[in-house]
Amino acid sequence: MQLVARRTVLAASLAGAAAIALDVALAPTIAYQAPQARIGEPAPAFALSDSNGKSVSLADFKGKTVVLEWTNHDCPYVRKHYGSSNMQRLQKKWTAQGVVWLTLISSAPGTEGYVSGEEANKLTLARGAAPSHVLLDPKGEVGRAYGAQTTPHMYIIKGDGSLAYMGGIDDKPTTRLDDLKTANNFVDAALTELAQGQSVSRPTARPYGCSVKYSS
Amino acid sequence: MSGFDLCLPARFSNILPVSIEQDRLASAEPRSARGPARAASLLLALLMGGHGPAAWASPPAGERVQADLLAEPAAIAAGRPFWVAVRLRMLEGWHVYWRNPGDSGEAPTISWHLPPGFTAGPIVWPTPQRIALAHLVNFGYTGETALLTQITPPGVLAAAGGVDIQADVTWLVCQSECIPGAAHLSLGLPLAQGGTTPEFGPELGPELGPELGPELGPNTGPENRRQAAAQEATTAGIFAVARRAVPRPAPWPARMELERDWATLTVDGATLRPPVRAAYFFPNAETLVRHAAPQELSIVRGRLRLRLERSALSTTPPADAGGVLLIEDTDGSARQAFELAEVAVGEASPPAQGISLWAVLQAAALALLGGVILNLMPCVFPVLSIKALALIEQAGGSRQQLRRHGLSYTAGVLAAFTALGSALIALRRAGAEVGWGFALQSPVAVGLIAYLLLAMALSLSGVFHLGSSLQGVGRGLAQRGGLGGSFFAGALAAVVATPCTAPFMGAALGFAFTQPAAMALAVMLALGLGLALPYLGLTLAPRLIPCLPRPGAWMETLRQMLAFPVYATVAWLVWVLGQQVGPAGLFAALAGLVLVGVAAWSFNAAQSAGGWGRRAALSGLLASLVGMAVAVAGLEPNPGEPASGAPGAATRHEPFTQARLDALISAHRPVFVNLTAAWCITCLVNERVGLASAAVEAAFAARGITYLKGDWTRRNPEITRLLEKHGRSGVPLYLLYPGDGQPTVLPQILTPATVLAEVARLPDPAQRRGSPPTPARE
Repeated sequence: MQLVARRTVLAASLAGAAAIALDVALAPTIAYQAPQARIGEPAPAFALSDSNGKSVSLADFKGKTVVLEWTNHDCPYVRKHYGSSNMQRLQKKWTAQGVVWLTLISSAPGTEGYVSGEEANKLTLARGAAPSHVLLDPKGEVGRAYGAQTTPHMYIIKGDGSLAYMGGIDDKPTTRLDDLKTANNFVDAALTELAQGQSVSRPTARPYGCSVKYSS
Repeated sequence: MSGFDLCLPARFSNILPVSIEQDRLASAEPRSARGPARAASLLLALLMGGHGPAAWASPPAGERVQADLLAEPAAIAAGRPFWVAVRLRMLEGWHVYWRNPGDSGEAPTISWHLPPGFTAGPIVWPTPQRIALAHLVNFGYTGETALLTQITPPGVLAAAGGVDIQADVTWLVCQSECIPGAAHLSLGLPLAQGGTTPEFGPELGPELGPELGPELGPNTGPENRRQAAAQEATTAGIFAVARRAVPRPAPWPARMELERDWATLTVDGATLRPPVRAAYFFPNAETLVRHAAPQELSIVRGRLRLRLERSALSTTPPADAGGVLLIEDTDGSARQAFELAEVAVGEASPPAQGISLWAVLQAAALALLGGVILNLMPCVFPVLSIKALALIEQAGGSRQQLRRHGLSYTAGVLAAFTALGSALIALRRAGAEVGWGFALQSPVAVGLIAYLLLAMALSLSGVFHLGSSLQGVGRGLAQRGGLGGSFFAGALAAVVATPCTAPFMGAALGFAFTQPAAMALAVMLALGLGLALPYLGLTLAPRLIPCLPRPGAWMETLRQMLAFPVYATVAWLVWVLGQQVGPAGLFAALAGLVLVGVAAWSFNAAQSAGGWGRRAALSGLLASLVGMAVAVAGLEPNPGEPASGAPGAATRHEPFTQARLDALISAHRPVFVNLTAAWCITCLVNERVGLASAAVEAAFAARGITYLKGDWTRRNPEITRLLEKHGRSGVPLYLLYPGDGQPTVLPQILTPATVLAEVARLPDPAQRRGSPPTPARE
């Protein structure tokens, strides 16, 4: 009731300043991002340096389906998908069909998974990965804007810039290789639906894996 | 017996080759191995004491997690369930996860390999901690934790010697990095010999005595828990600590209301005493809330409410809205954890989407219409009849004078509605759960209105004369003093209108109170304007006046006759009061009514007498007024059994509680809910006319409908919430839950035909209950 009343006061005053003041008053004690990326809404815009030092922005890929893959090569869950070539297969299959695949690394310097552009390129080569670009986000700003929690954590953005999928890569939140055989790959399914001009029937799933090693 | 990390990142593997080798050995051990392997593990178990103290206090160097398996009893018996614990001890700074790991991570798993006939229950999870990493939050355990599982042996145990219990345990342990681990654990347990009674330990769950309740003292840190465990490093000690860490089943019903961005968890803890300083909800569902978001706590009269930010990762209602609620006392000295196993999920009432002027105009139009119809409802009748009389009285006066009376009356109505509306809004803002008619939930208000109406009736009967305009037929016509009387009559009309609900009015007011204060008041004023409109129209359009009868001596007789409906209203209010305060309070109220008579008589005496007589009469008046105030102030709601409310409803019913409703809904049973109040005349009429018929009762019985009746005569927050959920701010409200899906809201004016038609639309009971009774129809 108090909350309702508080909102009532807010709406009645209609003063932007008051709203901001209240937001500050209610601000959490821990650092946490208020906005959340939402299905069907425009995906947050970003521009980052890729592993070759080239600036890449989301706006560059207008009209194309874009996959965002958060990664950390030392995370056991990521290793499951790369060690089995599951991730590489998916990258090759969809980039061949014109999908833009962006692998993002939001590990802060000094934390697990942080790499220089050169190291990132070596990893790509060594693992036979096929992303369109590996983007370096050491400040974690893009990761926070999207609410990326885990590695891997997957997002699909439609050609019109709206978010079509976010969540885990599949429904087996484990590090066991055996589970890949029976896993239902949500990203593959969503990309297939989008390629056929359909809407994504399962737009969200629980992301699983290691936490993204953000700077505090 | 020990677990080691299975999969180490490259940087660790060169340091710990031995651990990895051991682990491979452990996990490569064939499960089917019996004979020597089993004998060896039994022997080892016996050597280690099996159930005895742990051999180590912390994991061996280099390992992040040490896993072991413990059984509570020293020996087991056929058919006697017993508890085992998988204990995980972590290196400083590392953690494992709860069943919902939070933003990342993975819960431990246990896969049991038991002798034939043995069954294992689910993991009983200890209360987790909140572990923050940058802006992400995990739920899990640091230091050490014990995952309890109950194992039930078969009724007959042939084997002599003992049994071997094995478990494959996996976990993810994280510091900043995460490392999956696994262990194959086994435990040999002897069978109890005749004559020895094994120690089985207390049951978990509600049977837990208070001394075993999960009251986590100030020493709940893992460090202290470890110390405590070390002090009594016995099996009994370990299990006692483990039990204390398990959340207690919550004794209160809980609900969760979902909006697009918010999930509001409400716990009806009547026994929750106010000094709750902090509360935190650990949801079972992984994509229900944003784990890192702050949870805003509010407590209103024993109801704890947590506002949780919904995760964008799930747009559908969760299959399981339950979780663990952690509550901390004011001084932080005691923390208690409660398992909220059953949390009913409801859709929140439609959110107020800013200020929609169009919606407010619609509501105002409905309220205006409702206000006009309110004139026809029985509550307003006595006052309106007096006004009609006044109108006839004034028919001969100037048009200007008539208009002034009409406007004064309207002003009185609007002033009263403004006052009522403002009070309602202020009370709601202060956290009270009140709605339309809230004044009549207060015995003091009901008492005061009864006094006021009795005074008015006595005046009509001629016991005393209030104001010059009421003195004698035709004399007050030209006097301006009558304007105050008109204003007063308007205010009174508004107040006595509250027990009546007219069609259109409920929806309009229900909407109004979800709006900002100014909008709510606008709708209230529209309702008042509607109430005043017929009289105002007559005074503003004097062409209608000649149609009215000419004033004459007959009016004095009519005035005296009109006193009787007002006496009847007083009688009804006294009956309402009786529902609210019980016999003792009723006596005080009735004594107050006698004093109203004394005051009226004294007033009249004071006007006619002079000198000492006048003073005596005035002091008598004063004394009786004081007496009335004392009598009315002593009226307190009877805390005893709930007011039985409206009589005359022959149909059998149960008292409404949200818990009962939730239970019936989850059992897919059809339910009819009637929210009513003794002071709500519309409700009483509906019950007599629409619900008390034999046909309705037969139809309810035939369809297996449970009839729940919620009495709002006194304040009842549960009923207020159900009203609000359906966009109402007052009674009556009739809901028909079909057994599956959303309820139908029945009209506010009920007839048996309406009720029967709605009941007939329910799914065939034959399909639901397997018996084919024919629904009674008329």
